[in-house]
Amino acid sequence: MNGALRRGLALLVRAERTEALLWARLRFEKRQDAREPLFNRYAGLARSIASRHRSWGRSAAWRDAEQWAYTGLLQAIDAFDPLRGAPFEAYARRRIAGAVRDGFAKSSEMEAQLSARRRQQRERVGSLKAASIAAEDDPVECLGAIAASLAIGLILETRLAADERDPDPSPSAYEGLVWRQTQAKLVREIDRLPANEAVVVRQHYEHGLSFAQIALLLGLSRGRISQLHSAALLKLKKRMAKEY
Amino acid sequence: MVATAKLCDEATLKGLISALEAGAPDDLERTDRLLAQYPEDGRLHFLRGSMLAGIGRPIEALPALRKAVELAPDLVIARFQLGFFLLTCGDAAEALSVWGPLALLPADHYLRLFVAGLTHLIRDEFGESARLLEEGMAANQENPVLNRDMALLIDKIRNLQSPVDTVAADSDVSATSLLLRQFASKHTTH
Repeated sequence: MNGALRRGLALLVRAERTEALLWARLRFEKRQDAREPLFNRYAGLARSIASRHRSWGRSAAWRDAEQWAYTGLLQAIDAFDPLRGAPFEAYARRRIAGAVRDGFAKSSEMEAQLSARRRQQRERVGSLKAASIAAEDDPVECLGAIAASLAIGLILETRLAADERDPDPSPSAYEGLVWRQTQAKLVREIDRLPANEAVVVRQHYEHGLSFAQIALLLGLSRGRISQLHSAALLKLKKRMAKEY
Repeated sequence: MVATAKLCDEATLKGLISALEAGAPDDLERTDRLLAQYPEDGRLHFLRGSMLAGIGRPIEALPALRKAVELAPDLVIARFQLGFFLLTCGDAAEALSVWGPLALLPADHYLRLFVAGLTHLIRDEFGESARLLEEGMAANQENPVLNRDMALLIDKIRNLQSPVDTVAADSDVSATSLLLRQFASKHTTH
């Protein structure tokens, strides 16, 4: 169901039904895998609402605003009753804007606490540490494995998020080419990961969702998301090591 | 066959279908009342699902069609319609999975031919798709509504092959149109 439809299938598909199918699966069949495509469908709406509210806070708070917007969207998906007739977008707008406003209201109290960015980094290290210790006997090897996995995460983040606010980190044209090739290779490798691991990597590095948010998305525990994250990064590290 | 008290009797079913064909305003309510009496009758769930799809309530149509296939796995028209409904939602993989048992129908059965034609369509094999859909139409003597839908689809396929002709972009292949005549003429399972 993802990506561009083949021309033949496009003859048959009725746009309003593609989303209806997801709601039917989520509500009537309790299928957790319907939540992610719904989230992806409206993630742009959440970002645009976050962006409009960005001027309310610190300039550095844009990542926080997006996080609040995503949380609002996830809550909207779970609370929405598609049989009541109102379109989801209108319903979600209110929930997302409310979540962003609440986030800004609370943020002044929390400024001394960790930013979304630092929380994200802490989650990643925590997830990778346990897996790397289990995989490597030598402490130096273990440290190397964590560093390599974090580096892979950084590459993925700059590729998947593809944000114009982030400058190209490569210092020269050649290094830029190598960087882009590495990124492209990694993105291809994500497609080869088991489905849930791929979802965790994409949502965490592309949308910056926290592990708790992805747990909500997939109907799994936060601890399980952390495991899926580390398993995915270790697989990517091994595959990249074979390549280079 | 329709022989136990768990299933709605033929006369009542025919009465419902006649009322639906006549455009009875309370058709859904009437079906719901019958379903309250015969919750295990897959044919009633199929009718309900078709009606819901036809009036633009696809979220409810899907579970009704699924229930129909679950309760009456041999009701081939319901299985075909569920697969077609999933196609119109964009889920070709699940549609093909639902259609799987239709491969056991005789090779010249119109539903098997339609499934074969649609399978080629999903793969963008337009010539073969149109040929098989036309074969299916020729073989289909019992369900003119479905033939009309397939004719519209073939027009669209031809238009894709030679895009000079203009077929109205919004012409709708009513995949879940009420196949009531199917029931009126032949409402047993296969």
